[in-house]
Amino acid sequence: MITGDSRQQIVPPTRIRVKAGFVVYSPDSDKRNIVILDEGELAAVNRSGSSPKKVFTMHPGDLVGVASLLEHEPFQYNIEATQDSTITLITEECMESELKTLPVWLLAVIRNLSNKTRKLKEATHKSRSANTLKSLAEFCSHLNPKEYYPTDEILQEFRWQTKIPETVAMEDLKSLCRRKFVRFKTENEIAKVSVLSPFVLQVFVDYLKSVEKNIPWTPFQLSMDQKKMLVKISGLDQTTESDAPTWLKFFSEQGLKVSISDWICAQNFGWFSEISENLFTLDTDKIKYYLAALHFENNIKGVL
Amino acid sequence: MIVAAGEYICLESDKASSLYVVKSGMLVGSSKSNDCGRLINFGPGSIIGEFSLLESEPREFTLRAAEESEILVIEQEALQTTLKAKPAWIKAILNFLSSRNKIAQENQKKNNLVQAFPSLLYIFASHIKETGVDTIPLDTLCEKAQALNNTPADEVKRLLDILQELKLLKVQEKIVRAESLQIIPLLYETLKYRAIHQKISPNILSMTEQMVLSAFVKIIRENNIPLQNGLCTVSTEILKAEAKKSMHGLTLTSRTVAPLIQKNLLKTSSTFDIHSPIDNIGFFYADFDKIMDLLELNLVFPQLDKKLVM
Repeated sequence: MITGDSRQQIVPPTRIRVKAGFVVYSPDSDKRNIVILDEGELAAVNRSGSSPKKVFTMHPGDLVGVASLLEHEPFQYNIEATQDSTITLITEECMESELKTLPVWLLAVIRNLSNKTRKLKEATHKSRSANTLKSLAEFCSHLNPKEYYPTDEILQEFRWQTKIPETVAMEDLKSLCRRKFVRFKTENEIAKVSVLSPFVLQVFVDYLKSVEKNIPWTPFQLSMDQKKMLVKISGLDQTTESDAPTWLKFFSEQGLKVSISDWICAQNFGWFSEISENLFTLDTDKIKYYLAALHFENNIKGVL
Repeated sequence: MIVAAGEYICLESDKASSLYVVKSGMLVGSSKSNDCGRLINFGPGSIIGEFSLLESEPREFTLRAAEESEILVIEQEALQTTLKAKPAWIKAILNFLSSRNKIAQENQKKNNLVQAFPSLLYIFASHIKETGVDTIPLDTLCEKAQALNNTPADEVKRLLDILQELKLLKVQEKIVRAESLQIIPLLYETLKYRAIHQKISPNILSMTEQMVLSAFVKIIRENNIPLQNGLCTVSTEILKAEAKKSMHGLTLTSRTVAPLIQKNLLKTSSTFDIHSPIDNIGFFYADFDKIMDLLELNLVFPQLDKKLVM
């Protein structure tokens, strides 16, 4: 049986009059209050250094301590009266009792605003990179493959750019090493790292982008006939120019089953560029790209 | 309010003054300006539009019901009626939280820009080194900045605007062109040095060093002195005279030029000894482009931090 009074009890705020010089709040205090200045003047003073420094002045209507009370965020300054003043102190109990009487949606608004601000503040210290391996692969793809770089320095530079934590960056570097995209060596007791092929790293970055977007990556979608076609054209003179029927006839003569559909796909892959109406030549960069993807398929997928 | 699956509740940027509370079902929010169009789910208990309710801000998302959903709509009148019945400090707290959030949003934007800057320079500088050309396609730059640091295209463009204002590059339709082959790599290395070693880069010159190099450049330009393999030569006598004129009567001594010689920016015709008179040196020579790039760097570097957080 419920015998007590079930109505919400409001804890009233405390209104006090203080003399100039009175310390309203000190960071050493365990008590957390919202301080509202009704009359007079208060100042936030930093007393952590060798000499006190006024940080800001409060005028009637101003308040401090909301973040301290709502989010337990430490307030680092003294609040001192610079004139005789009247203040209202909202204690934790007072605030909680008042918040309990608010409609749920208003309480949710207060919580949401507070949470969003906290997340924004936290985000400033975090990396924006959602895929740290992709970030590192992109970074490494700009290194000179002929050079060995001190591992610590490379990671430091990468972390300065991306704010990715050291352990995560190191794990990703090892992951690139397992895939045989980078190699390590020790020289004069200094660990060094070198990139094997910036081009293959770029291909890897593109693969990771596709995985991220959950879309099939075309180099790994080729049919066996398309792969044979790719290998065949990779050995051809890049200046070869022919119209579509001649290309199809050529493939047929080479014993390759290249359908009209395969031919259209090959154009979509970018293997052929149309230099004039119905006259096609090879795009060696695209062909090289697809070949690298196939050659390093296991490395790219990380299934070595 | 009941909304059927697939029905739109509001569009991004619509004028608004109400809050939505999801009572049941699921809403999906999308925004062109945030997170590259990423979809956000709002399930039961979620609220959407705090700033529309508090400050009549336009809708942040386009909202659509993913399934049949029940939504409570809270209008500003309901907020005002509630606040009237409460102590004034509740409203003050709401205002405080709202303005603090705005400040945090602004700070995050500035922080994102500052964080994206080195990786953008790194990509451009690497591209210049790899290709030997001073241009990069804008799309390539955006794509790589996205891959390296998740930098959205609008931030890349904002950073390029800043660099363009500083006259370090030009954005010409879809091509970004550096003012010289060296300036972007130089700026990147200078920032990297400051960040990693926590001290000023040797590329940042003192006022005296800058004045000596400016006097050197002035002589080359005014006298049309030809470059030989990029190097230019000035006799000590002429340099001393120009220095006296342009450096407010300052006398050029071995001590004045010593830091530039140590940094390998000025080279001397004979072995340099800081204790010997400067007249013992016949002439000075230097890499003209390198000096020009360094002077340019020193001109823009002090403005950079301010521009980034403006």
